[in-house]
Amino acid sequence: MKKKFFILPLIFFLLILLSFLYILVSERDPYNLPSNLINRNVPIFETDSLFKNEKFSSKQKFGEEIILVNFFATWCKPCHDEHKYIMDFANKEKIKVIGINYKDNDKKVKEFLKKLGNPYSEIAIDRKGRIAIDWGVYGIPETFIVNSEGVIKYRHAGQVTKKIYKKINSILNEISNVK
Amino acid sequence: MVPFLGNINLWLCLFFCVTQAINFKTTNDKNILRIKKISAYCLLLCSLISFFSLMYSYVYSDFSLINVFQNSHTTKPLLYKVSAVWGNHEGSMLLWILILSIFNFFIFRLINKNNLNFIIHALKSQALITFGFVFFTIFTSNPFDKMDSPQSEGLGFNPILQDPALAIHPPLLYIGYVGFSAVFSLSIATLKLNNDEKILWHLYMKPFVMVSWTFLTIGIMFGSIWAYYELGWGGWWFWDPVENASLMPWLIGTALLHSLIIVEKRKSLQTWVLLLSILCFLLSVVGTFLVRSGILTSVHTFALDPSRGIYILLFLGFLGFYSLTLFGLNSKKYFDRNYFAFFSKEGSILVNNIIMVIVCSTIFLGTIYPLLIEMFTNNKISVGEPFFNSTTIPIMAPAILIMGIGPLLAWEKESLVKVLRKSLPSILVTLIATITIFLIYRHYSILGIIGIFLAFWIIFNSFSHLITIKTKFSKGMIIAHLGIGLLILGITGSSVWQEEKIVRMNIDNKTQIKNYNVLFKKINEVEEQNYIAIKADFSIYDKNKNFVTKLEPENRFYLVTKNFTTEASIHTNLLRDLYIVLGDGNPQDGWVVRIYYNPLVIWIWIGAFAIFVGGIVTLTNNIKKFKILHL
Amino acid sequence: MLNKNYKLIVFLNIIVFLNLIFFSQNFLHSVEPEEIMLNKEQEVRARNISKNIRCMVCQNQSIDDSNAPLAKDLRLLIRDKIKSGHENKEIYDFLVERYGDFILLKPPLKSSTFALWFMPLVFLLIGIIVILRHNKKYINKKNN
Repeated sequence: MKKKFFILPLIFFLLILLSFLYILVSERDPYNLPSNLINRNVPIFETDSLFKNEKFSSKQKFGEEIILVNFFATWCKPCHDEHKYIMDFANKEKIKVIGINYKDNDKKVKEFLKKLGNPYSEIAIDRKGRIAIDWGVYGIPETFIVNSEGVIKYRHAGQVTKKIYKKINSILNEISNVK
Repeated sequence: MVPFLGNINLWLCLFFCVTQAINFKTTNDKNILRIKKISAYCLLLCSLISFFSLMYSYVYSDFSLINVFQNSHTTKPLLYKVSAVWGNHEGSMLLWILILSIFNFFIFRLINKNNLNFIIHALKSQALITFGFVFFTIFTSNPFDKMDSPQSEGLGFNPILQDPALAIHPPLLYIGYVGFSAVFSLSIATLKLNNDEKILWHLYMKPFVMVSWTFLTIGIMFGSIWAYYELGWGGWWFWDPVENASLMPWLIGTALLHSLIIVEKRKSLQTWVLLLSILCFLLSVVGTFLVRSGILTSVHTFALDPSRGIYILLFLGFLGFYSLTLFGLNSKKYFDRNYFAFFSKEGSILVNNIIMVIVCSTIFLGTIYPLLIEMFTNNKISVGEPFFNSTTIPIMAPAILIMGIGPLLAWEKESLVKVLRKSLPSILVTLIATITIFLIYRHYSILGIIGIFLAFWIIFNSFSHLITIKTKFSKGMIIAHLGIGLLILGITGSSVWQEEKIVRMNIDNKTQIKNYNVLFKKINEVEEQNYIAIKADFSIYDKNKNFVTKLEPENRFYLVTKNFTTEASIHTNLLRDLYIVLGDGNPQDGWVVRIYYNPLVIWIWIGAFAIFVGGIVTLTNNIKKFKILHL
Repeated sequence: MLNKNYKLIVFLNIIVFLNLIFFSQNFLHSVEPEEIMLNKEQEVRARNISKNIRCMVCQNQSIDDSNAPLAKDLRLLIRDKIKSGHENKEIYDFLVERYGDFILLKPPLKSSTFALWFMPLVFLLIGIIVILRHNKKYINKKNN
């Protein structure tokens, strides 16, 4: 009994050490945050639409096909950088992309899209950033995949890069195959 | 040339660690002694040369070194060129090594005919530790790595570090962390002693524990002072993982230095002390691992590199496995059956020990729990200030209550009635003082009442010990305890009764906080060696319209790194700090001004400093006592 | 080290101060004067909630201490919710639903955090047992 007692510190130590080792080698990114909205329905919101003279209502827009939702703003540098990939989603992959314009100026957005091309089938305007909060966005750009039932399946926070582009495509394929 | 010299000496350190660690096949004590002597002296010399070569490279801005290029700039004031040496990961490792070899040297100096075996074991362990860190530095973070092409100007360094408190914070903290390595080594040596050897190992340990703990205290204090005026919202402790990493060894160190008294006086708790001294250093290395491996996100972390994390973890694994296995095998012979009653001096120290360990475990749990959750559930949670406050404060409170009467208790057994009679005056005085304070200020809150009560309890008890009893108590202990009382006073005051005012002000506007009127007089541009700044000028008047002080918060712009920093302006007296930070603004709309009234903050610093002084006083006593018994 | 988003506004040659360069930035502590609610009681509530909500893009900071734009949005949101009569719990639930438990600086009590909240109690219990056992052994030894 007594002898076992003295070996206890060693056992605790080894347990802690192993968990440290596991954390260290499991390639995690301490800055990556999982979204709480995965497998949940798209938040309900209604707002202005940029090019159309009607209200943008989430109830009507989601639930028929797979949609990519992209939060963007003209003042955000990574949004500029990822724009070509968003264009590719719309043109090459033929995915419907809905843009949500975050705390921006309508005129600037129009100029921006004229210059770089418009991948968005529709653009909802989030003037105060409240829609972004509903989506659990913590910094733009962020990109969501919504399936044909209107359920959020994936979220990428940050710029879409080549690697992420591929990843999103494979998830898109997976979802359409399930159907 | 100089960097080359530094690099060579770093390699030589490695060599002398080896000569100090290995056993030479000689039976002659004199030869062994000679080898150890050469190793210990040369190790010290080489690490000194290595350290000062890097410092030289910084002072003379030798941008052929990657390390200097990345962290220095010719326009930097001399003081900050010097402190830049340890302001980055690689350089701080060099400082770490230097302190290791200084402690190694002091261990060596204790050697004599009677303790030869004991000290040689300790030196071996110390050499092993030093070897590990030198190896780590050379192969994963060598500060003497050369640039591909030398540059004429450096990248400067984080201006937020250009600050006197932060310049001396790391050396003090490292003396604390690294000092525990000597305690660790002595503990290993004790466990390795043969049964027939009688060495008063606790006497050897005590001065090292005192040094480490004392400097850790003051090191943590400087970090907090810095956070207080640099981060700009009047807070000074954030339960950040890096702060927790320094607090954990401090708590275990506190337990350790108290239980050493029991070992000395009563020959009890010996295994416990050996375990604590191992844990203390292991926790210091865990802290290093957490800070430098990048597995935690923290505001203080150094640049990340996974290979460093793996290395430190392996090294930690080796140290822990070796020492704790040794503990498991050999500690039984130090297991004593000198029990004591709960209500006795030993009992109070035991309670203190256990509470310190509980608090330390809780902090450890809170620090790594988010990692565990992420590992097992793929979820993320935050464990922040509210968790640490709500768990540690209630656990800590009884320890502080006991701390007040602990020194009064007799050894082995004490009667409750006698103690109550003895401490009745201070109980009464504390109660009266607390009630009076609250009757005057009428600012009630549960935490406030408890905090003030505990603070007065400790303060009055310490004074009564100081006055009534002649030489029975160690002066150092009383001063340090008094420091804790003052610390609690400051913590309570500043966290419970802080007031703030956030207003937009233009020039000539007035505002009020507490009983003070604040007048925004003007705003100026200033230019210094490596930054430009706008400096606001506020005049503070009390309620009778008497001028109190001028406060000049600054917003600095560092030209080299293109960084902004805010410099709060603080007026301190014994009762409160007035704290102003300048925010956003322009001449049309005015500036956002944040004014804080932070009661009693200065007592936090005075308290911590008193603990430091108490530690130093005790240390000198320990050394005196050690010399008498040693010779 | 401290990754803050510093916004640089440089005013050149402002009439009031000729040839002076002014600059300003978003500062660390960022409750701004315009945010503060007139109802003092509600403002205290808002501040208390803010202190328990993590700034998602910062490290170990509450939104009360942060200058990040999202932190400001959340502060305003909390104040709007308070104004429209929501209870504190409703506000926390609203935020957790969107951002997960990560947003709470004080982790909620549930199966995955059970160990976090109860381990300190277990530590305390172990401590008490150790002390009592020690005391008992002393008494036994005395009696023998």
